[in-house]
Amino acid sequence: MLGDFEYVRAQTTADACRRLKEEGDRAVAYAGGTDLLVDIRNGVRAPKLLVDIKGIEALTRVRARNGTLLLGAAVMLNRVAEDASIRDRLPALSEAAVSIATYQLRNRATIGGNLCNASPASDSIPPLLIAGASLHIVGPEGERDVPLGEFCTGVKTTCLECGEIVTEIRIPTIEEGARTAFVKQQRIRGHDLAVVNLAGAYLPSDEAVRIAVGSCSPTPLLLEAIDGRSHDPAAIAEEAIRLADASASPISDVRASAEYRRAVLPVLIRRLVARLFDPQGGA
Amino acid sequence: MHTITFHVNGASQTVHVAATTTLLELLRDRLQLTGTKEGCGIGECGACTVLLDGAPVTSCLVLAVEVDGRSVETIEGEAKDGQLSALQQAFIDAGAVQCGFCTPGMIMSARGLLQRNPNPSDEEIVEAIAGNLCRCTGYEAVVDAIAAAARSSEAPRLLEDDDPAGGADA
Repeated sequence: MLGDFEYVRAQTTADACRRLKEEGDRAVAYAGGTDLLVDIRNGVRAPKLLVDIKGIEALTRVRARNGTLLLGAAVMLNRVAEDASIRDRLPALSEAAVSIATYQLRNRATIGGNLCNASPASDSIPPLLIAGASLHIVGPEGERDVPLGEFCTGVKTTCLECGEIVTEIRIPTIEEGARTAFVKQQRIRGHDLAVVNLAGAYLPSDEAVRIAVGSCSPTPLLLEAIDGRSHDPAAIAEEAIRLADASASPISDVRASAEYRRAVLPVLIRRLVARLFDPQGGA
Repeated sequence: MHTITFHVNGASQTVHVAATTTLLELLRDRLQLTGTKEGCGIGECGACTVLLDGAPVTSCLVLAVEVDGRSVETIEGEAKDGQLSALQQAFIDAGAVQCGFCTPGMIMSARGLLQRNPNPSDEEIVEAIAGNLCRCTGYEAVVDAIAAAARSSEAPRLLEDDDPAGGADA
């Protein structure tokens, strides 16, 4: 037995928000459960009501509207990894999704759950940051859109208010010819959380490089845009390393020391930039 | 309590479960389907892998109440009429079992793989079982077994081709 809670399956977003609002701190939105059920089992969290949002049809769709890709919050990670429209537009997100946990867990874990978990080491956040994604949030008082960069407010905390749920991830059009990539350092080649994870994009129209750094700060960092006009991967990487080093504040934990994270960050940035400018080569 | 009706290995079951009961507990403790094992209980080891509507999941992290109206396949559904499945036989033939605790989960992950991809590469096999930890024999024999089972699904055609008596050039 896992803790002491009741379970209800929400039929609609409004239904879910109402239940979560009524129960307040006692209730929690339940999607894939791959983090929540482990936390309950380990006594880290003790909710009295799980409001299952996976059955809400609107949360399980992947669609495009006016060029914006709309990804339902309850879309499971294997679908994110395999979806052709995501792979075409934002391969960094496909790469990140397939690197998360194992095939079995990715059949349960959802993209919205990964974001709402707000882990500093979240693999889905860096690719969505470089893409300028925003989150559509619905609550008892109405709806709002929040840029992903403002969603996580600290380690494992978000700006969600009582009764609110993330319903959709909105990924703006990524220009033709853009290249994106994801790089992750982990302790073993199999499934593991990131020691450091990075996503990058090269945008040809303004010849800029965008890089997001995970696992080196309380919330993943989006570095300021880097001038890519030189097309010189070494020079671009050095500028990215300077920016990343100035804003990173890594900690030591079970996966790596702060010193190791700071030391491996430049190596990974060079690999990432190499891949952006030479998609066939690089590491 | 919740009343749920679902299919296990093709047979319909109606049971009453508490919200806190996991699918793994339902299978093992209520339905006596003890082929599915509990290793870690937190989704790390894969010993409790079953197919939920055809997709491999760790049953320790699925609530029983969630499988209402759905279909679950476990290791007990592999053998038919006393005959091991080709996948089970391949594990024996390849020596892909030592203590056997991880084997039901391995076979269910492999079953899920072969259902979505009947001709997987070794790399695809490795990815499919990356969530199934074995602490005794290692993985190469397991990969060999799954590859052999995939090939055996083509066995009738291969036998025909390889049979000199029945071949065109005999």
